[in-house]
Amino acid sequence: MNRTPPQTERPKITVEHLSFFYGGFRVLDDISTSFGEHRITAIVGPSGKGKSTLLTVFNRLWEDIPGVRMSGRVRIRFGDRWEDIYAPSCDLPALRRRVGMVFQTPNPLPMSIAKNVAFPLRLAGRRKPGEIARRVENALRAAFLWEEVKDRLDADATQLSGGQQQRLCIARALVLEPEVLLLDEPTSSLDTAAAGVIENLLIHLKRRCTILMVSHYLDQVHRVADRITELADGRLVERAA
Amino acid sequence: MRAEWIIESLLRAAALASASVSVLIFAFMAYLGYPLVEKGQLGNLFTRPWLPDQGLYGIYPMIVGTLWIASLALLFGFPLSLGYAALIQLTTDRKNAFSRFLRKVAEIMTGIPTVVYGFVGIFLLVPFIRRWLGGGSGMCILSAALLLAVVISPTMILFFTDSFARVPREHLRAVDALGGRPAQKLLYVVLPRSLRGIGCGLVLAFGRAMGDTLIALMVAGNAVAVPGSVSDSARTLTAHIALVTAADFDSLEFRTLFACGLVLYFMTTLTVTTVGVLGRRGEARRP
Amino acid sequence: MNRLAEKMTVIGAWVCGLALLGAVAVLLGYLVMKGAGSLDSALLFGDVRPADALLLRRQVFDGIFPAVAGTLVLVLISVSLAVPAGIAAGIYLAEYCPARTRRIFGHFYDILAATPSIVIGFFGFSVTIFLHRTLAPRLYPCLMVSALSLAFLVLPYLIRTTQMALEGIPAGLRRTAPALGATRWQNVSRVLLPRALTGIVSGTILAIGRCAEDTAVIMLTGVVASAGLPRSLWAGYEALPFYIYTVSSQYADARELANGYGAAIIVLILCTVLFSLSFLIRSRLARRAAGRALP
Repeated sequence: MNRTPPQTERPKITVEHLSFFYGGFRVLDDISTSFGEHRITAIVGPSGKGKSTLLTVFNRLWEDIPGVRMSGRVRIRFGDRWEDIYAPSCDLPALRRRVGMVFQTPNPLPMSIAKNVAFPLRLAGRRKPGEIARRVENALRAAFLWEEVKDRLDADATQLSGGQQQRLCIARALVLEPEVLLLDEPTSSLDTAAAGVIENLLIHLKRRCTILMVSHYLDQVHRVADRITELADGRLVERAA
Repeated sequence: MRAEWIIESLLRAAALASASVSVLIFAFMAYLGYPLVEKGQLGNLFTRPWLPDQGLYGIYPMIVGTLWIASLALLFGFPLSLGYAALIQLTTDRKNAFSRFLRKVAEIMTGIPTVVYGFVGIFLLVPFIRRWLGGGSGMCILSAALLLAVVISPTMILFFTDSFARVPREHLRAVDALGGRPAQKLLYVVLPRSLRGIGCGLVLAFGRAMGDTLIALMVAGNAVAVPGSVSDSARTLTAHIALVTAADFDSLEFRTLFACGLVLYFMTTLTVTTVGVLGRRGEARRP
Repeated sequence: MNRLAEKMTVIGAWVCGLALLGAVAVLLGYLVMKGAGSLDSALLFGDVRPADALLLRRQVFDGIFPAVAGTLVLVLISVSLAVPAGIAAGIYLAEYCPARTRRIFGHFYDILAATPSIVIGFFGFSVTIFLHRTLAPRLYPCLMVSALSLAFLVLPYLIRTTQMALEGIPAGLRRTAPALGATRWQNVSRVLLPRALTGIVSGTILAIGRCAEDTAVIMLTGVVASAGLPRSLWAGYEALPFYIYTVSSQYADARELANGYGAAIIVLILCTVLFSLSFLIRSRLARRAAGRALP
């Protein structure tokens, strides 16, 4: 139902000869591919084989892990300009503001709901209270959370249910209006109902950004994704969506 | 990005400055102590007695005194601490509250100031030892070593219990499942697996015993003669530095204090390195 | 299995454990028995009215008020010197520096932590004398020299507790802010440091305790038996532990000896409270970390 013929898609991310090493172990082996704009690409495959690692290649979050090495070229098109995100000139915090990420377990910071969503704005140096309040509301609406929390924005975020926490984290990633959203098994810590809400949300978010997600659940992937690719033995193999 | 760079530089400066303090201490003492080497006093320093009247400024008696007191303190303190730690381990299963109480007491003991131990030692332990030895001042190696044993034991106890706690739970549960008694668990599983930790604790405690000033200064009597027995008064390297009276850089007497400082510094570095090497090898062996 | 060896182990453990407990109980019991009677306002202020002493209207000669004040000022100065440097170095070690450098720096801090305090005191003393001879003829051992030397003494504790508190933060929380575009310092200052604060506080409390109890460092760097209240950073001062030490070796009368017991009880209570507080915070933290580690 969400399928779009692949030939009409415009690439958003291109990967050339990407290899990734964890210690002496080759996690990704000379991968070259591209990911289409406003598509949901799902990466599936057995666990522990580097799917999450592949996601962190696009926001360079792996660089904090010791003993890890990468080679190859990764470019993302922001507007009409292709940027090599591993070029020395690349501004890392700015990159991560345009490439949002949501993790497997919800990770709200120990502060209020509103402060959590506003946090990235403050990091980016936005200070106008009016602007912050407006963007927080937009992000919470986009994450289907506004109606549930609008009366208790100052409540502690860790008091929310698991599904709400995860949507809060999605709202927090959305508040900077990222062009790419990386999701690392976003529903695996949630029950079916909460997972359903998030699946629905992802399909809506496609209009705003390009989504790469990692998932175990094949039925979920088939409901949501435009393209399914399997990571096996360090290579990507296309599967029917 | 510029602000980030400034912050990182500041933090690095703090780390470097802190690390350089220990180098600086060594360098400064070596620089001021170096004339001893130039004057060919090095041999005399470590072999001769301290007889300022005859122009002899050897620190041999202090080295002997330090080794006597520290070794004896360890001799008394080690079994006490190991037993205490073993008791904590033995009572964890059934009398958990007692075991926790013992640990709490050991923690509180680390906070008892040495000067307080020394103070009580002078008025309680010294007269007792004097009567027991039937003469003398009671200020002797034995008094200092007994008191020092109590001072260094909490360090050892906490180190031992920590290394006992690192023994994998599965091992302990295996013994439980075989119907093992707590004593069997301790003897056949916990102790053999903690030998390295016990060794580290011993070295660390020896370092602390040698580095302690107040106990020896207050109850060992500070005589500068080479001690012949445990009932003799003795002076440690630390007490010798504490009793500094001259501040004349040209005098041999003052220069020898730097030699004392360097010996202590060298011993400290040795203990820290030993513990570091032992600890790291222990970690490497663990999968 | 050797039944006898097991029996001996159990008996030995009980004997050793109770002997050590007994020794500590006797030492502290004796102190309390002898000194409890002297815990009154005369201990602090002697014959001077407390109000007069506190408002600095009259000097206290036969109470320990000047020593208490001296210790407080000394602790305040040395901790405020050491805490910023120690926390900064700890942050650098945990969050910025490469693993190799971390090991090398760590080794230096360990050496400093194990250096006998008398050696650090002697270092402070001889540097002061050296400067007195060469650059600053008016510099003598004084409050400032003591505070600096004590700061060196507690620096490694602060660095290590800060480092350990930061390194104990789970990876999930650690990468939250960077994934949202935080710079390294933003992550440290807004997420990691607030989270590590309790650990850092426990290290600071430990440092306060160490500064308050240490005698060896200050006895060479400026503490004197009678200086009155601390007046200047560049003058001598009194301190509680040194007061106890001097009383033990040269008390003039029963009154002074009783004051010595009283002072010992005060230092004892102060330090044991600080140390247990620090341990309590750390065990809370450890339990919280263990609770999180469970699925």
